[in-house]
Amino acid sequence: MKLPATSSSKAPVKFRMPTEDNLVPIRLDIETEGQRYKDAFTWNPSDPDSEVVVFAKRTVRDLKLPPQFITQIAQSIQTQLTEFRSYEGQDMYTAEKIVPIKLDLRVNHTLIKDHFLWDLNNYESDPEEFARTFCNDMGIEDPEVGPAVAFAIREQLYESVASAREIKISKKGRRGAEHAISSKGGGNALDLMKLFRYNSSVVRKRKEWYVYEPIVDILSNEEVDALEAREDRNTR
Amino acid sequence: MAAKSPVKEPPGTSAVNPTTPLAPPPVKPELPSSSEPDVVNVPSYSRWFSFDSISECEVKFLPEFFDSRSPSKNPRVYRYYRDSIVKHYRENPSRKITFTDVRRTLVGDVGSIRRVFDFLETWGLINYFASVKTLKWEDKETKSSAASAESSSALKETSKRLCNGCKTLCTIACFACDKYDLTLCARCYVRGNHRVGVSSSDFRRVEISEEARSDWTEKETLQLLEAIMHFGDDWRKVAQHVSGKSEKDCITHFIKLPFGQEFVCKESDSEDVDNKFFSINNPSDAVSESENVGATSPSKRMRLTPLADASNPIMAQAAFLSALAGVEIAEVAARAAVTTLSDVDDRASKGSLMRNTRQQEAEVASNGDATQNALARASVDASSLIEKEELDVEKAISGIVEVQMKEIQDKIIRFESLDLQMEEEWKQLEQVKNLLFVDQLSVLFHKSNARKNGDRTEENVKTDVS
Repeated sequence: MKLPATSSSKAPVKFRMPTEDNLVPIRLDIETEGQRYKDAFTWNPSDPDSEVVVFAKRTVRDLKLPPQFITQIAQSIQTQLTEFRSYEGQDMYTAEKIVPIKLDLRVNHTLIKDHFLWDLNNYESDPEEFARTFCNDMGIEDPEVGPAVAFAIREQLYESVASAREIKISKKGRRGAEHAISSKGGGNALDLMKLFRYNSSVVRKRKEWYVYEPIVDILSNEEVDALEAREDRNTR
Repeated sequence: MAAKSPVKEPPGTSAVNPTTPLAPPPVKPELPSSSEPDVVNVPSYSRWFSFDSISECEVKFLPEFFDSRSPSKNPRVYRYYRDSIVKHYRENPSRKITFTDVRRTLVGDVGSIRRVFDFLETWGLINYFASVKTLKWEDKETKSSAASAESSSALKETSKRLCNGCKTLCTIACFACDKYDLTLCARCYVRGNHRVGVSSSDFRRVEISEEARSDWTEKETLQLLEAIMHFGDDWRKVAQHVSGKSEKDCITHFIKLPFGQEFVCKESDSEDVDNKFFSINNPSDAVSESENVGATSPSKRMRLTPLADASNPIMAQAAFLSALAGVEIAEVAARAAVTTLSDVDDRASKGSLMRNTRQQEAEVASNGDATQNALARASVDASSLIEKEELDVEKAISGIVEVQMKEIQDKIIRFESLDLQMEEEWKQLEQVKNLLFVDQLSVLFHKSNARKNGDRTEENVKTDVS
């Protein structure tokens, strides 16, 4: 269901993830009986719903969680899936839209900070490919970083697209739509137009380099513990 | 505590912090020391596996990657999943890897990763020989699978074994084939659920002793019996009542208990034996019967496969049960079932055909090595049967006699009535005779009168003329 999106066309497209494979980012955060389970992964919405329960049971069994988690996990996944599916029938207008993606995540002992631009219109984009290349290039050894990076990117893309769709619903009429586009993240689109004008170059200014540079840090155990404690405190 | 703690910041900021502090620090493990040989066991039916290629087996079982329905699922991605999962497992072959470990390290949607993982696990390319039961067996596993890495004959030492056919745990007895390095549980062996080219004669039976796991103290036995009295067939509750024994242990031990100890009277004896077999094995009547046939012919002892004709599920079940239980147990069970059956037959008073077969079976059973108990009981039963028969015969005779008497009585009554009728008819006849006589007399009178009158008239005429 990929329409060739030309730069000036504002034809509506059926809602989907703006990536090559239409996968939904699912985040789980369940707390029962003093045990907390947090997880994040990508899900294929074309999998049958029976898959949800199977996955929940598998996870609970592998992680040796108490069985109450099964229903809760399954429900949470199902809710997020239904939300995604409810978006799916609707149209979305994605004009030329470049969104900034910020990565700021800690996976086990690896800390990653990055900032880059992503074209929302490019339906052949692949966060997984990006993550793979990223890990290869940065020489990251921990195999869990890749999926976490891909997930982060996907989640942000999902948010952008979902909010784009919501704005369309709230405002009627194309004029309203155009305004909406320009207001949300459209600032970047305008920036791009500026960039491609004659009086500026595509190359980034040197002083902005540090903003867009990826940073990969390996933490020691104490730092990890400190960070974890701070995160826990923040969430509670 | 299963706390994994990413921080979800409010959606205003666009920073996201997923974290998973589960895996060990990303230090490459050192190469395994040379004391452990670098051998990984792969089951023989997975010989097609190679890192360099994709076999038709994989295409068949995981078509989603190969039918280009989805742009992200292509063979390259499949190989990436497969290779990384297998490598991950082979880093530490004695440890079972879980799906959750793996999916955290792979980029992609969890549904397809799960399918690849399941496929690899089913085909024994990962988690092969790793225990599927509780963690406490893992230590034994690592020791024994390290030994088994040396030579396949060391298979005997592993305490928990997975069947190659159905991937279940072999518990009581299993069949091992050294030629092709296969292990089958009793069910798969009986069903012939092994690769083509391997015949059932290549297998030998390996007992896995269960009693070593649990010694039954007196207290536990007592608890077991109490529980059975209270809960009857509900083995779950029985297991709960007996401290420290699982359901299967309870059932096994219960069967092994000597018969006299468990039952109160002989009547309920046979019924309980029935119930016990019925509840434990969930067979129908036919199974115990067919067990008879199966086990009482000693010539068929070793050749179970003729009975394991898959087209007859009951026979397969019987063969499986006798394979599982061992030969002597099956024999004793069969004999007990025979006795029970004969009782049941008697009560239902089936035709003589059943009696004949029963006698035959009883004969066959007694021809074998019979235990004293069974024989004595059989003879006692036989004498009681004889007495019953005699009583029956007497009753029958007296019945017949009564019936005959009634017949005779009826006949007498009928004859009497006939006599009466005859007499009446006689009387009537007499009356009629009398009447007739009277008529005759009157006719004679009239005749004589008429003649006299005729004479007188003649005289009158004559006188007139003269």
